[in-house]
Amino acid sequence: MSFDGRAPILEAGPESSGAGGKVPVTGELLSTWLGYADLQRRTLDAIQHELTRTSGTVEDATLDLSARFRELAEKAIEQSQRVEQIVMVAGSVEIDGERVPMDQLVTTMQDMIADMIANIVTLSRHAMSMVYLLDDVQKDVSELEKSIADIDGINRQTNFLALNATIEASRAGEAGKTFAVVAQEVRHLSRSTSELAERMRSKVTAVVKGVRNGHEILRQIADTDMSPQMLAKERVDKTMESLVDQTNHFQHVLETAANVSSEMSATIGHMVTGMQFQDLTKQRLEAINDSLAIMVAGLDELENRTRVELPASMGAQVPQEWLDELLGRFKLSEMRQRFVRKLLLEGTALDEHGALDVDAGHDDSSGGDIELF
Amino acid sequence: MDYGIDIKEQEAVVRLRGRLTFNDHAKLRALIREMLQNKAKRQILDLSALEFVDSAGIGMLLIAREEMANADKLLVLRAATGQVKRVLTVAQLNKIVTIED
Repeated sequence: MSFDGRAPILEAGPESSGAGGKVPVTGELLSTWLGYADLQRRTLDAIQHELTRTSGTVEDATLDLSARFRELAEKAIEQSQRVEQIVMVAGSVEIDGERVPMDQLVTTMQDMIADMIANIVTLSRHAMSMVYLLDDVQKDVSELEKSIADIDGINRQTNFLALNATIEASRAGEAGKTFAVVAQEVRHLSRSTSELAERMRSKVTAVVKGVRNGHEILRQIADTDMSPQMLAKERVDKTMESLVDQTNHFQHVLETAANVSSEMSATIGHMVTGMQFQDLTKQRLEAINDSLAIMVAGLDELENRTRVELPASMGAQVPQEWLDELLGRFKLSEMRQRFVRKLLLEGTALDEHGALDVDAGHDDSSGGDIELF
Repeated sequence: MDYGIDIKEQEAVVRLRGRLTFNDHAKLRALIREMLQNKAKRQILDLSALEFVDSAGIGMLLIAREEMANADKLLVLRAATGQVKRVLTVAQLNKIVTIED
């Protein structure tokens, strides 16, 4: 085998000899093939590396998201429990350690007020009956005063008659002596009656005074108008009604809130379940990586076999156009850097594809930041 | 308060006007007497022109009802408006007296 500057003609191994088994191959083609094979192997390595990396990134992010969603679901459940607690007590109030529903409370209070008003009505009626009674008593007492005055009149006449009788008796002399005694007795009787009438007058005057005072006090009581207090019921009823309406409204809103919270925790639960796609993705990526590894091994073997056949002076040819096109595809800077490092720095190609950043050598841990250029 | 009575065969209609308060108690008593004297079984108190009633007035209306019942007559409160209607409602007088619109 000689090399004269032209592409050498290589022969296939003796095992492939025979009719059609042997084909002439130029050294240039093999050199190009070697270059491609080298680049392909590196590319596949880089792709494997990227796939593993991507799978890891997705896994980390998914685990983090799942944890946060679980936390969110727990909080949503707590929230709905709190709201349910409020809903339970919202429609009632505690009185003497016992929970009384709002509508029952309102009914009780309305009944109490109704009883109060019924009492006012009864009192008003009794007060007016009393006023009428005392009106009558006053009239009767006036009659009594008049009767006492009449007794006085009669008494004066009796006294006058008795005096006349005494005079007539003294004129009659011995014959009228007995009559004079009777006339004297009548005069005594008249005096006693007069004294009795006087005592009655003083008592009746006291009664009249008492009745008039009582009548006046009763007038004041009956004249105290309670109708505004009765009408206060209207206002109380409206207030109670409004209170019940408001409570019902709050309860309705809170019930809705409790439902929404429950729905939220259920939805978040579904989201956590949905996150399980990551497992499947990881398995698929691993399978792809395994396939790529087999391809890399195959390429490696072929490369070795080809290198043995190629003269030592001929190396692998860097497929520049292909490399340019390949690197042109990578728009993510950190990914591009990893590819450049893999394909150029580890390979034979010159670094014509831009300087690497100072920190390009470090595996940047900031991870997720995506830069486009 | 003042009033006018219109006596028909079956019913006597008494039209009350103005304000019925404690000060009218003597007048109301005279009215009750008149109502007892006429022959009508139904004694209607027309309250449409009554502007105001106080708690004493409510007491007097109840006494009137009682007096009518004792004389086997029926007292009817008719056409109350405004404050009078509100007080009658709040006092639930319809449980004791016949009330008509």
